[in-house]
Amino acid sequence: MTRAGKKRLAGAALVLLLLLAAAWVTDCDPALLWARRGHLTDLTGAMFPPDWGFFPKLAAPLWATFQMSVTGTVLGAALALPAAPLCAGSFHAPAVLRHILRAIIQITRSFPALILALMATFLFGLGTFAGTVALTVYTFAIMTRLTYEDIEAAPLSAYRALRAMGAAPAPAYFRAVVPAIAPSYLSNGLYLLETNVRHSAILGYVGAGGIGLLLNEKMSWLEYGKVGMILLSLFAVTCVIETVNGALTRMVREEQSLPPFAKRGLLFTGAVLFTVCAVTAAPPDVSHTSAQMVRSLLSDFVRPDWGFFFDLSAAGLGWLLLETAAIALAGTCAGTVLALPLAFLSAGRLVPRPVAGLFRVVIMAVRSVPFLIYGLIFIRATGPGAFTGALTLAVCSVGLLSKRFLEAIDALDFRAYHALASMGVPPLLRVRHAVLPQLAPILASAVLYRFDVNLREAAVLGLVGAGGIGAPLIFAMNQYDWSTASSICLGLILLVWAVDGLSGKLRKKLDI
Amino acid sequence: MLLSVQNLHKTFGSVAALSGVEFALNAGEFVSVIGPSGAGKTTLMRVINGAVAPDAGEVLLSGASLTAARGRAKRRLQAGIGTVYQDFALVETVSCRQNVLTACLPDMAFFPAVCGAYGKDRRDEAAALLDRVGLSDKTDAPVKTLSGGQKQRVSIARALMRRPDLLLADEPVASLDPVTGQQILALLRDIQQTRGLTVLMNSHNVEFSKIFSDRIIGLASGQVVFDGPPAALTDAVLAAIYGSPEAQP
Ligand SMILES: Nc1ncnc2c1ncn2[C@@H]1O[C@H](COP(=O)(O)OP(=O)(O)OP(=O)(O)O)[C@@H](O)[C@H]1O
Ligand SMILES: [Mg+2]
Repeated sequence: MTRAGKKRLAGAALVLLLLLAAAWVTDCDPALLWARRGHLTDLTGAMFPPDWGFFPKLAAPLWATFQMSVTGTVLGAALALPAAPLCAGSFHAPAVLRHILRAIIQITRSFPALILALMATFLFGLGTFAGTVALTVYTFAIMTRLTYEDIEAAPLSAYRALRAMGAAPAPAYFRAVVPAIAPSYLSNGLYLLETNVRHSAILGYVGAGGIGLLLNEKMSWLEYGKVGMILLSLFAVTCVIETVNGALTRMVREEQSLPPFAKRGLLFTGAVLFTVCAVTAAPPDVSHTSAQMVRSLLSDFVRPDWGFFFDLSAAGLGWLLLETAAIALAGTCAGTVLALPLAFLSAGRLVPRPVAGLFRVVIMAVRSVPFLIYGLIFIRATGPGAFTGALTLAVCSVGLLSKRFLEAIDALDFRAYHALASMGVPPLLRVRHAVLPQLAPILASAVLYRFDVNLREAAVLGLVGAGGIGAPLIFAMNQYDWSTASSICLGLILLVWAVDGLSGKLRKKLDI
Repeated sequence: MLLSVQNLHKTFGSVAALSGVEFALNAGEFVSVIGPSGAGKTTLMRVINGAVAPDAGEVLLSGASLTAARGRAKRRLQAGIGTVYQDFALVETVSCRQNVLTACLPDMAFFPAVCGAYGKDRRDEAAALLDRVGLSDKTDAPVKTLSGGQKQRVSIARALMRRPDLLLADEPVASLDPVTGQQILALLRDIQQTRGLTVLMNSHNVEFSKIFSDRIIGLASGQVVFDGPPAALTDAVLAAIYGSPEAQP
């Protein structure tokens, strides 16, 4: 066997070993799921038919949800624009500033939006304001990172030319660099808007406003018809946003040209929408925020609970973090297995159009349901614990993974496949040697990306009892036990940082 | 007779790409097909190697009908043909050597073929072929990093790796500079003579075709308008193939 072959074999063995370990840590038990599969449908069945009469009551919270997402996304993205050049290595911003900013962004990125929202409620009280702040911060961190990476990859010759003519750095940046990164910036922003709508639908779980509050309430009162109605309306909103977003993204990437007045009209509509959202936003409710509480928060946060941090037993932080990572890994793997067939079945070039359309709707429906709902459904079959968490993340990963896989399938080049066919290579081997090599890098990249996302999501599964670090973290925060919360946050930051580094290395090695 | 095509017809919509093409190749011959763009040269190759089914007519390989064969029997016949593609038809994400090695798949048992365990001999042979087409420094480079002319040579190496009885070469030197083009054609000619390979080559370069071929077939609007030795290719014949003397390449 060749050296490259041996390396590949070793890599495959390592991945398999990791997956087995993850399955063991999460108490993975497919037999249990199969035996209790009947329980998966009873709750789903109870949601149908939805309670149509409930719809009028949904308008206000739906609007609040939308409002939080739009305001948070626009503000966060706008703030990222000036912050990104300060983080990019290619400009000569003071190194200290660059490192501090990058550290802040890396730290913020370690937390799921829900945890940020929970923190925000302590400062700004319950309600949509806290949710908006959380989404702003969340968007800011991700957009800054994506934008500074774009800036570092962009050619800077135009910028240098303007600077050489005596332009100040800021105008030169906005004139020469921003136009070059604009398409990527805008499509990232649109993508984040979509994710934020999904996130903001659950922020109500921690009291940060929006439809999540209602969802939580109806769920715990067992009013499943109303839950069904909420999910249906979320599905409708998701459909509308994805369709509009898809059209806008194509436009931004200039696959579709528009006359200037239409562009201006769109910009104007966007500006009006944002203004309406921002102006009608509820003010913060600081009546419960006392200076004393903020002081104790800050002073305890800088004193993490080291005993808990270094506790190596099953009750310690290390094990909880390991469990969180294992949930994310197992969930990503299972999600990949689910997403692959769905992607092939929704590819218009491989199956008849109506079939592909049907499966696209199925994927959209799966995406539109907030992930905590899946957690609550799975808990009925597999009980509280990490296995439920892994199952939940698996279903949640399907949306993004199948979308990326589908893009890869749409980009497939079948010429080599046909060339092998006319040399007499049998079909299966053609797929293996002419199709898989094209798909593999894109699949690997998507899976790695989703693992990154799942790691964060796994940190809030605890909210519904689905294992991981989330339950102790949220518990500690609600108890104002800031030093425990601080040590958990520190652990989470380190975990995300380590995984970031590893996946970066892996990407470089696999050249993806 | 190694290859005989009989009364081939193929239409795409309203375009008649081939209408009544007939000729035969003897084993060991080097034959060029020339003709204007859109004459049906690529279509002819795709019908001969079985990628496209003709509307009417037959392709016989050493007397066996490729047109009538199905499944395993068809694949066995196709395994005797190597094709160099005008658009290369390579797997961009893997290395040149891996691409060349795919030509061995029809000869391998299922399991090693799935794993891509080609064995040392085949790997060495692939490297040697890449060396002969002048790509020894690109053996393990991904195809996507190559230039058009380099990809074309990988496509040639893959077709040769098949050790075919019949080599179909669709404008094999179109993306190459004149010197490299001539070297590659000399290589094909050399392999043809030493291995007794039969070559059918599409070409836009009449000069090269005259130098390297034993025989030239002129195709125009899907019909054979000339079939004879290079010496018989007069200006009048060229005018008949290409329409008018000014249109000569
Ligand atoms: N798959 C197809 N679908 C529709 N029409 C086709 C297809 N393949 C070929 N044709 C048409 O058949 C005709 C012959 O095409 P072909 O590719 O065989 O020409 P060619 O002689 O190889 O041209 P060139 O020298 O430009 O490569 C052209 O009119 C082309 O448009
Ligand atoms: Mg052609």
